Amino acid sequence: MSIKVEVIEGGVPHNKIMIAGFVCTIVCLYLSYLNVATNTTLFSFFGGLAAVAALIWGSHTIKVLCSYGIGTGVPSAGMIAFGSGIMAMLLATKFNVLAPIVAVILGAVIGLILGYVANAILNMKIPAMVQALTEMAVVGALTLMGLAVLITGSFTFAGLTTGSVMVMGFISVPSYQVSFIGGGLTAVAFLLGAIAIQHPFNACLGPGWKQDRMLMLTAECGFLSMIVAAVMSFAMVNAIAALISLIVALIGWGYTYHQYILLSKRDAFAWLDTKPIPEMEGH
Amino acid sequence: MEHIVFGIGITALAGALATVAGSAEDTESNIGSQGDPNSQVQLAPQMGFVHRIFNKAVAGEPPAYGLWVALGAGLAWAFMAMHINAVLAIVLGCILAVFVQGVYATTAYLGRTASLAKFGQPVYVDILKSMTSVTMAHAFVAIFCTVTLCYLINAALGHPFPLPLLGLIWGITLGAAGSATGNPYYGKERQYQNQKFGAGVPISASGNIVRFAEAGERNSLDNGFFTAKFGGPASGVCFGLIVFLELWRTVIFERISAGWGAIIIGVLMILIFTVADRYIEVWARKTYGPYTEPKKEASS
Amino acid sequence: MSAVAAKPAAGGAMNPTAMAVGVVMLIILLAIAWKMAPGLGLMALIGVIIGGVLIGFGVHFVPVGGAPAAMGQAPGIATGVAMLAAGAGVAGLFGGAWAADQGLVVAVVTGAVGGGLMMAITCMLVNFVYVFGMGIPAASGKVLKDPITGDSQPEYKSQGTEGHGLPFVSFVGGVIGGLLGGAGGTLIYIELLNLYKATLPTVLKASAGDILPVAVAAAGMFAIALFLVNAVLTAYNITGTIEGPHDPKFKRWPRAIVASAVASALCGLVAVLIVSI
Repeated sequence: MSIKVEVIEGGVPHNKIMIAGFVCTIVCLYLSYLNVATNTTLFSFFGGLAAVAALIWGSHTIKVLCSYGIGTGVPSAGMIAFGSGIMAMLLATKFNVLAPIVAVILGAVIGLILGYVANAILNMKIPAMVQALTEMAVVGALTLMGLAVLITGSFTFAGLTTGSVMVMGFISVPSYQVSFIGGGLTAVAFLLGAIAIQHPFNACLGPGWKQDRMLMLTAECGFLSMIVAAVMSFAMVNAIAALISLIVALIGWGYTYHQYILLSKRDAFAWLDTKPIPEMEGH
Repeated sequence: MEHIVFGIGITALAGALATVAGSAEDTESNIGSQGDPNSQVQLAPQMGFVHRIFNKAVAGEPPAYGLWVALGAGLAWAFMAMHINAVLAIVLGCILAVFVQGVYATTAYLGRTASLAKFGQPVYVDILKSMTSVTMAHAFVAIFCTVTLCYLINAALGHPFPLPLLGLIWGITLGAAGSATGNPYYGKERQYQNQKFGAGVPISASGNIVRFAEAGERNSLDNGFFTAKFGGPASGVCFGLIVFLELWRTVIFERISAGWGAIIIGVLMILIFTVADRYIEVWARKTYGPYTEPKKEASS
Repeated sequence: MSAVAAKPAAGGAMNPTAMAVGVVMLIILLAIAWKMAPGLGLMALIGVIIGGVLIGFGVHFVPVGGAPAAMGQAPGIATGVAMLAAGAGVAGLFGGAWAADQGLVVAVVTGAVGGGLMMAITCMLVNFVYVFGMGIPAASGKVLKDPITGDSQPEYKSQGTEGHGLPFVSFVGGVIGGLLGGAGGTLIYIELLNLYKATLPTVLKASAGDILPVAVAAAGMFAIALFLVNAVLTAYNITGTIEGPHDPKFKRWPRAIVASAVASALCGLVAVLIVSI
């Protein structure tokens, strides 16, 4: 017995969300490049904001795709988005200042080909598949780049493979093991993003789906991911920068979580505390 | 020789941790009602059966546990890179990972239940308040044990992968093993306790989950204590065996015949489990017998 | 509008034009690799493609029943197919990575055995729970007789269900799926690791010993990402559930081979280009 998934129209059209998310993400990623201009890591938190913007866009794409009933669950869409996104992101980091643009182009190419493979070779023939997979690969690449910037302060290949280690308490020695790629933090960022992108649609699934509630939940998931990524960044960027990221993330999370609870209260049938199951005829 | 004895000691400890982790993981996913059985919790109100079960729709167990354990491991790794003591780092990392898990659980329940407003399913705030802390507690046990065994594998046994990557690997495996073993027990035995024992749930009964308990209305804690008697330990044994046997055959036999020793032992183990499975299957067919008369070949 | 009604049937039909286009894409991707990164890079890409195809093919063997299996309504394991296969594969990758310094063949076979062992234990315990915890014998809904043991199935199927548990052919399928998945994942890992170990010292201008953590972590992460992409594509191919190698849906495997080959070639090319440009 499958869950009834009904497409409820209404709310902001998908293309508007896509353009807004795309522009916000690229702008935030380039704002974080101020790190290089000022030779600090204080602007790393823009990476987290970029990730939140990309996730909002991506979760709406998943809503568009999964409304067609693809036969498997929603989480698989998140996995394929980030599986393809991480490839695009890591190659894009080799292009230094052009990294975000290259990530978009590469992600789009990978997503297009995967979408064609899924629709034509695997014969799924879902109208929105090719565009959705293209968008999701781009979102995956940009979210990972945003999280990488948040944790390490830069989106270049050199920045992601080197970190520094304190020897004898005060000498800073470059180390490949304490780095974003070398330490395996790509795995954490990958799963943080993959779960955060599919959770909002998965959790708000049902006949009473409302767009603003889902998007608020996406923002909340994004800021939650930003909180833990900011804690991890304490090991890689200096303490002030990490603290700024953490405070921005906590404020963002607190606000969006509170708003999400209010929206759920608005939409719920009843908001009961310690009450029995209501009597219904026939059951 | 000392090296092997040390290795076996770590293997035994890792196996024990894995067993506890598997058991806690299954109990947590049953208290929160996660994974495939949750489709019934979602379906019930649509068929008119309003309930007080926690509807935790956070992906499936493998990706979710992959995230919690990778997160715990990543945070522990970061803390260790800041020269915090390893044990404290793991504990702090797991606390933060459990916080994330708890938040995801609450948003999932609120989201799914609010979207079922059309069918009259209310949001029970007391369920939210009481189940969340219990599911977080069980998740902490599972995550902490798994992150610790990852750390042991990395630091004491010398596996090349860094800690967060090991966390991802064992988190996904934990979720897969615990979900495969524990889900049918929760789904059939407890959710559909009103159906006849010894047969699957007929399709006509979909959605009619048990909503009234021994005394009063059932909630997810009632499901948790029931499955912790069989489903939980079975999942624990499953994951514990996976970790223990994988480590054991490598630690003892990897130096024999340049690696082929461990492979031969692994193949032998697969054969042993195949024989055991066949025995169980034949035992069931002989002891339980068929449901109906065997059909003749010509008429089928 | 109900989206379930709007969903076009995925069907089991092959699309020959698309398959041909897929093969052409594969050749183009191989040619790009040959141009930009001949020698080591091309070898690594071929290894990645073979590994990806092994994964894609192997996932077809794993018996997955989805949500109905959790209620004893369908045979198979009650988890999502992509993630269960990923679980077996990464367990195999774990073992294979440990044996990486013992040579390619030993590592890949170790990875295969690791994945197969994980599936063997899991499948055995699934049957254990069904038989001893729920009192339900294993029965398949798609065949009259188990192809391997010859046990007849229909009379052991409870009323109103499509079968339950793991008949022996499904168990064997699960183990084979674990073997192939573990082998494929480890092959991808070893190929990329060898490539990175050889080329990263020049790219990062450091010694081989220093960059080893980066090489290992990057190769491991790519192996897992490729694993997930291939497993999800296979899940799309079988539309979510399959009983094992005896299921009629199994005949759809040629599509998945081409799909996995193209997807792995694409992602593998990107992984190779990281050290080649």
